Amino acid sequence: MSSTSVYPTPINAFKQSKRSVLSIIVDNEPGILARIVGLFSGRGYNIEALNVTVVDIKNNLSRITIETLGEEKVISQIIAQLEKLVPVHSATNLANLSESYEAEICLVKIEFDNNEQDQKILNFADIYRSRTVQKRQNIVVYEISGTSERINKFLDDLNTIGGIKVELVRSGPIGLGI
Amino acid sequence: MENENEFTGADILLKALKDQEVDTIFGYPGGAVLPIYDAIFGQNFLKHVLVRQEAGAVHAAEGYARSSGKVGVLLVTSGPGVTNVVTGLTDALMDSIPIVCISGQVPSHLIGTDAFQECDTTGITRPCTKHNYLVKDVNKLSETIHEAFKIASSGRPGPVLIDIPKDVQFAKSKYIPKKDISFKEHRIKAGSKNVDKSFVQELVNHIKKSERPIFYVGGGCLNSGPQASQELIKLVNKTNIPITTTLHGLGCFPGEDKSSLGMLGMHGNYEANLAMNKCDLMINVGARFDDRVTGRLDAFSPDSVKFHIDIDQSSINKNVKVNFHTNTDITLTLKEINSFIESNNIELEKKDYTNWWGQINDWRKKECLHYEQGDEIIKPQHAISRLYDLTSHKDTFITTEVGQHQMWAAQYYKFSKPNRWITSGGLGTMGFGMPAAVGAQMANPDSLVIDIAGEASFLMNIQEIATAVQYKLPIKIFILNNEYMGMVRQWQELLHGSRYSESYVDALPDFKKLAESFNAVGVRAKNISELDDAINEMVSIDRPVIADIWVDKKENCFPMIPSGAAHHEMLLSKYDKENPENQEKGKVLV
Repeated sequence: MSSTSVYPTPINAFKQSKRSVLSIIVDNEPGILARIVGLFSGRGYNIEALNVTVVDIKNNLSRITIETLGEEKVISQIIAQLEKLVPVHSATNLANLSESYEAEICLVKIEFDNNEQDQKILNFADIYRSRTVQKRQNIVVYEISGTSERINKFLDDLNTIGGIKVELVRSGPIGLGI
Repeated sequence: MENENEFTGADILLKALKDQEVDTIFGYPGGAVLPIYDAIFGQNFLKHVLVRQEAGAVHAAEGYARSSGKVGVLLVTSGPGVTNVVTGLTDALMDSIPIVCISGQVPSHLIGTDAFQECDTTGITRPCTKHNYLVKDVNKLSETIHEAFKIASSGRPGPVLIDIPKDVQFAKSKYIPKKDISFKEHRIKAGSKNVDKSFVQELVNHIKKSERPIFYVGGGCLNSGPQASQELIKLVNKTNIPITTTLHGLGCFPGEDKSSLGMLGMHGNYEANLAMNKCDLMINVGARFDDRVTGRLDAFSPDSVKFHIDIDQSSINKNVKVNFHTNTDITLTLKEINSFIESNNIELEKKDYTNWWGQINDWRKKECLHYEQGDEIIKPQHAISRLYDLTSHKDTFITTEVGQHQMWAAQYYKFSKPNRWITSGGLGTMGFGMPAAVGAQMANPDSLVIDIAGEASFLMNIQEIATAVQYKLPIKIFILNNEYMGMVRQWQELLHGSRYSESYVDALPDFKKLAESFNAVGVRAKNISELDDAINEMVSIDRPVIADIWVDKKENCFPMIPSGAAHHEMLLSKYDKENPENQEKGKVLV
């Protein structure tokens, strides 16, 4: 049996950290988001992304999705701590479900100077099937959705084009288990 | 026309308190709670205890709750009134004490305007309560109060705060009695009502197989109720398994019993810590593998199979990975274990663990609590031993402050029943003990209540002597006066080259005169010949008494597992030297 040292080696902890997406159903009441965010900051957990919206008006429920990093032990402790909060119905690590789906939405505003850039942008937008929200003479706004990984790749590809200016907003991942 | 079925928020609060069978409330008035104080003025079911500072109210409520098993209740005003209770709320959260704190808030329309005595009460207290509320609508007041009491006392108990703006205290609504409220299960989190039979079976199988088992019992056993303690005693007697308790577990099992190894942990008994280190089966009953108990985690009980009974899911596998666990209430689980053993005629008596007890008795021969009492200066350990000898025939409640005296009290005062030992464990709040004694005496008016104190801690909430005097509460404050913050001094001696930086308490008051100025009684013992008389006099006087016991200034608290060391690396006396490598690592820990 292994017990963990009180002298953790930061490098190892970092290596064992993995990304988890937590899906939390809560009573939609004042202060609930502060409770959850406070739990993360107070106990030294990470929030990589966070999303919250009412999902059931009749029963007054919201779903909060949090992307976090941590060792498996830490993630289980986060779930246990979340479930202790009074307004929390359930907290699920989507990675522990046999089947779950994730999506994220991203709006990207790109400013460009010339046709060559425009062509390259159009090309990537087409490959990633992003939707044009607005296009002006030298500004284009795309909406792209999918897994966070897919959006990352799209943004990486855009960054290979020199001389353009990119501004973006991302929703953070949301997910559902089946 | 006034509707007869409608009441003001303040009256609804009082009706709800009555419904919850609250008969005592600790508080301090102020602008934002005046309507509630007005309602208190015109009634007689509720006894209000006026403290001298709000910190006193919250510790008194804790002492009341711990010593009675009921929910402790306090009432404070907005702003400084409530910020003064933050320490006590945190203390109650750490030590799982059920209390409900009612705080006044500025009127709704002034919230957010930086009004006089306004503060973000729910924001400030969110991380130090189990749950809190800001009630903006008087129609929700009844159910909020009833839910607060339910949450405070269910599952793993804890503090709950209800912030009520002044206009809501005046506004009118119907009162909804407790019986008409259906609680939402997901919010109450009462733990499972079903005993995990496979856990029980697995545990009994392991008990049968094991050669070196041990019970490790914590405050959860206390919170499960007196029945848990009864079931535990039955199980220990049946199995002949040694048992050690945490600081908060003291009293769950009779301290004088032959199966008891006493307290474990940083200042625990040698035999208890060694047995934890060498056991092959650990049965954790409501303890949380706190750092004061485990010592260095990578050397904590390396060869044992670990079972953990804890109603709080987040306590499982938090610090130490266990092999089997259950989140069902301790009483229910222990009961099932006992009846499983009985109904299956499992004869555990034959398995009397001769070798294991032989080993433990060898460790006991070290006499880790031995001290040399000379014929002049009082040893603090001896003061507690004599206090125990001279008061154990009474139904005595002991509260403590925090420091060396607290550990000596835990080591030398033996408890035979639960709820008689009230101390600040998790947070370690100096100034806890005296107001806690006020609370314990309110709950147990006919019992002897003693606060075992250090002079430094006692000074932190000394104003509450006036409370004890006003309500004729004959609490005893037994000060082990060494003129030092003893535990700080001890750590400075062991870890910081005896550089006693700011740990000497200079300019102390004359505690005897101080008692007299408060209209309490002061007694003093300067040397060993005066000790017994001082104790007897203190106990015999039916008024608040401060006993100023002058003890050896340089005495240290042993045994000790230094921070960062393992159970088997404990120091038994000042002659034991610490492994220097551990010392450097331990220095950075708390």
